[in-house]
Amino acid sequence: MKPELFAYALLAFPLISAVSIAFGMRRNGALASGVSVGAAALLLATALHIIFRLDTFEFSVNWLQVGPLSIDFGFLVDDLAKLMLFVVAFVGFLVHVFSLGYMKDDPNKARFFGGLSIFMFSMIGLVMASSLVTLFIFWELVGFSSYMLIGFYLDKPSASAAANKAFIANRVGDFGFLVGIAMAFWIFGTVNLSEMREMVVSGEVVIASIGAATGLGLLLFCGTVGKSGQIPLHVWLPDAMEGPTPVSALIHAATMVAAGVFLLCRTGFLMTADALQVILWVGVATAIFAGLTAIAQRDIKKILAYSTVSQLGYMVAAFALGSLAALAANPADAAGAVITGGVAAAMFHLTTHAFFKALLFLGSGSIIHACHHEQDIFKMGGLAKKMPITFVCFSLGLMALIGTPFISAGFYSKDAILALAYEQNTAAFYLLVFGAFLTTFYMIRLWKITFFGKANSENADHAKENGLVITVPLILLAALSVVGGFAFIYPQALMPIIEAGEHIAHGEHHTTIALFGGGAWAIGLVLAFVIYAAGAKEDRFKKMTGRLYGLLEKKFFFDEVYGFYIAKIQQRFASALNLIEQIALSGLIIRGAAGVAGLVGIGLKALHVGSLHQYVYWFIAGLAIFWAFAGGF
Amino acid sequence: MNDSVSLLHFTIAVPIIAAFATLWAGKLGRPAVQIVSITGFAIPTILALVAWIAYSPEVAGGYDFVTRHNTGLESVGISLHLGLNGISLPLFVMSAVVGLAAGLYAAQSKAENLSRYLFCLLIMQGGLMGVFASIDVFFFYFFHELALIPTFVMVGVWGGRDRGYAAMKMTIYLTLGAMISLAGLIALYVKSGANSFDLITLKAHLAAAPLSETVSHYAFGLLLFGFGILVSLWPLHTWAPLGYGAAPSSAAMLHAGVLKKFGLYGLIQIAVPLIPGGVGQWENWIVWLALGNVVVVGLITMAQRDLKQMLGYSSVMHMGYAFLGIAAMSVLGVGGAVLMMVAHGLTVALLFMLSTMIHHRTQTFEMEEMGGLSKKAPVLSAFFVCAMMASIGLPGPGLANFWGEFGIFVSIWEYKPWVLFVAATGIIISAVYGLRSISRVFFGNESEDFLEVQKENSVTDMTWAERVPALILLVLLFFIGLFPKTVTSSLNEALESEPVYAKAEAGE
Repeated sequence: MKPELFAYALLAFPLISAVSIAFGMRRNGALASGVSVGAAALLLATALHIIFRLDTFEFSVNWLQVGPLSIDFGFLVDDLAKLMLFVVAFVGFLVHVFSLGYMKDDPNKARFFGGLSIFMFSMIGLVMASSLVTLFIFWELVGFSSYMLIGFYLDKPSASAAANKAFIANRVGDFGFLVGIAMAFWIFGTVNLSEMREMVVSGEVVIASIGAATGLGLLLFCGTVGKSGQIPLHVWLPDAMEGPTPVSALIHAATMVAAGVFLLCRTGFLMTADALQVILWVGVATAIFAGLTAIAQRDIKKILAYSTVSQLGYMVAAFALGSLAALAANPADAAGAVITGGVAAAMFHLTTHAFFKALLFLGSGSIIHACHHEQDIFKMGGLAKKMPITFVCFSLGLMALIGTPFISAGFYSKDAILALAYEQNTAAFYLLVFGAFLTTFYMIRLWKITFFGKANSENADHAKENGLVITVPLILLAALSVVGGFAFIYPQALMPIIEAGEHIAHGEHHTTIALFGGGAWAIGLVLAFVIYAAGAKEDRFKKMTGRLYGLLEKKFFFDEVYGFYIAKIQQRFASALNLIEQIALSGLIIRGAAGVAGLVGIGLKALHVGSLHQYVYWFIAGLAIFWAFAGGF
Repeated sequence: MNDSVSLLHFTIAVPIIAAFATLWAGKLGRPAVQIVSITGFAIPTILALVAWIAYSPEVAGGYDFVTRHNTGLESVGISLHLGLNGISLPLFVMSAVVGLAAGLYAAQSKAENLSRYLFCLLIMQGGLMGVFASIDVFFFYFFHELALIPTFVMVGVWGGRDRGYAAMKMTIYLTLGAMISLAGLIALYVKSGANSFDLITLKAHLAAAPLSETVSHYAFGLLLFGFGILVSLWPLHTWAPLGYGAAPSSAAMLHAGVLKKFGLYGLIQIAVPLIPGGVGQWENWIVWLALGNVVVVGLITMAQRDLKQMLGYSSVMHMGYAFLGIAAMSVLGVGGAVLMMVAHGLTVALLFMLSTMIHHRTQTFEMEEMGGLSKKAPVLSAFFVCAMMASIGLPGPGLANFWGEFGIFVSIWEYKPWVLFVAATGIIISAVYGLRSISRVFFGNESEDFLEVQKENSVTDMTWAERVPALILLVLLFFIGLFPKTVTSSLNEALESEPVYAKAEAGE
């Protein structure tokens, strides 16, 4: 069979599931969930076939041709796409299974599973897209599915507001992305990714010699800033936790938000050194800012959300650092060298992060489910004994996130990033080490307060371990969180990127990096253990830091500033324009601005406006006279 | 030229005959009226789809289904010359389908004097089909007037709030716009010396002997602003939201969806090819006013509280993109504009129809007085979300809209990059008002007013009679989005064969 048939099948399974749920199973939640999980299973099987049995391939058919613009629909399944495909299909399937348990009693189950299927369809399309335009189309579609699922609890105004916020913040980023695509088209004459890359590699197009080439890279990066929650557009991601927890795990932790990093890897050959510097500092700033904010949050999902933002910052920084290294090593052939640099480090961390962050979210879902939708960690406590499987799995995921030396996936992928920073940019290195300290600190805080001591609320007191559909996905992800950092466990097909990533971690400054990384880990661990009491009811750190804590708790006032802009500036400006418009409507300007309109209006009024029917008669009469004259009667 | 009867004649004549038959059927009762009128809408739609499939011009980019009939007006160069080319074909199909949807929806509405209402709508439909099928400029204009008059009548007689004022204002503005553009067309006729209103003859004459700079400046100016008023070019747009706000839904669907495209179509098919220098002379005007449409009207849309007014403004906003595509003067820009016109026509018609369905359930157009409608009407909310997402250019439901906007955007970058930076803010602005309206109408909890309304009227979900016309529009929108080549291959050929658009490509 032709390889593209499998790619089509990959898109068809979730699409058929979504369409059939929308048209035939809206009221049959059980059937809908079965169909959706079945589609996810078929998708996983087909994806594994593509990854392991098929070579990399490219396929395209012409979709649209207007003037010089020719757009293909097609697939580009290379090493990068295969790795991402694996992450999406695997985590996607586990989240589907988990959702069977988590959403069991929800009356709108069918809509939920339909939404998941639409998401899988869009995400798979994004990963396999062969041109910037098809990538953008699926990019918008994942945004739409995210919008639908964040707003899943329709009658909650906060959910609807969060959904709108996510969509609009993404659109702000997409504004730049779209303009960037237009610019790229006129530089390359095509939007096909491998053709563009070929032109750069062969020297047909020399990026550095194009005017405003840095602008091109940064315009495309705008898309990443929106989708991957980088400063200043990160505000939507913590709010997106309004959606059901499996959605947070799949879309807002493991896959969709990482699509921005994927986009960077796809378009890395377009980046100039200046653009990479900007990208680097946006990533570093995001990593630190979000890490600080996470320290002062009470909601378990919000803590994990800020942690996700912070880790996405790491990935973005990793991409920039690795690409800078490649540029420095071989300025002439930077495009060809990128796979060993930015892509490897960023994708390595993306992969391990997908496992452990999905695990942490699903674990928090297991907790929230058991605690009857309590999300405040200070109202939990003592859950280790009540939910042993969740506890063990969550702890393994947590160990990976904080980069526990040697026995966790996160340790190696984070080390790779630190190693790159050490060579490329000392300031960024120290900041990223500080970020690693923050990560350990806020996660141990969460861990100690949630799982140890005594239960702080009735809900937590009655918590019980969940059933197998919930715990089995946790166990599988926990295993990967432990061993996911070792390249040798990956099958050959996924090796190239992972191995390159691991290789960076084991570079020449290996010991120094491990020392700094391990030091940050140990200090964070000890400090958090000392400051927070097991199963605490309130935040002791808050009393110690006072105002500083307030700043963190308020998330550096981003929401307030945006809220002020939207309500006080944008909306008032719109209202002012509307006022002018309404004055014009009520007739004061009709005659002023279009003086002729006034005069003619009076004339017309006299003719026919008194009765509309008269107008018809005038029309017919005029026509008859015209006809008579022309006909020569 | 043959003078046999072609299917184009039927697409124009059937609705008009059906219009009178509907009046007569009024005596036989409601079912007869419905059957006759729906037949009058369905036959042209089937024929238009046949034309779409069968379209194969002898010359690439040329006209197909060409017929010519004498009218007794040969002394002034007017004959009933019909035909379709790649530019008019998609608009022709779109207007047939929107007409069918509007007709189906109108036929089961509770309008008083249903047979007269449908009479007006059918006349309008006949005129619309004629507009896009005419090669003769006189008939192009004539059919537009034929479609316009019933619009005024429908707004004035069956309209909602402020219908008298709205009808008067629409009449003044649109008649003025039509008269100015007529003056421009007559200027062309006189100055070209072709002694013919036939577009093909005119084109040949003007290609051989172009207008002088002064004449082309004034003639194009007349056409630009005349058509501009009809298309609601900012700041001459104020008739549109008011008129649509008051218009009964089927009239709003046909006018905002189809008839309004007349002006753009006139610019693309007639004004720009006949006066190639005109766009260059007026380009600053076009660009700045079109940006006014996108940004100023976009912001005004955000401030609307009335759902129907908001839709009216949003449709004005989208016209700005089409003008920008024309200003780019390339195959891509104009092709994008035509695609957008088709997609927008389907989308805005769907939105106006859905807004009326919402009104039946909430008894208001004030969005503040709605809320939580998705609980009682999930299917309606799904349709509305789809339609709104399409309107804001989200690929998926709005893939066709996206192709149009994207083509325009790419062509603007080549034309003037800074314009794109301003114009593309429209994708953010439209997302803001689009999503706000969705969440205000459908999500959250019911407002007190809506709870009050629910005590007296039970709120039901969309009935099948409501779903069918909505599905017709959505299906075509999806189809064009997924298979854009069904539209663009002939469109591309037509534009490439037009020297004024193809020139830009060749000059590279």
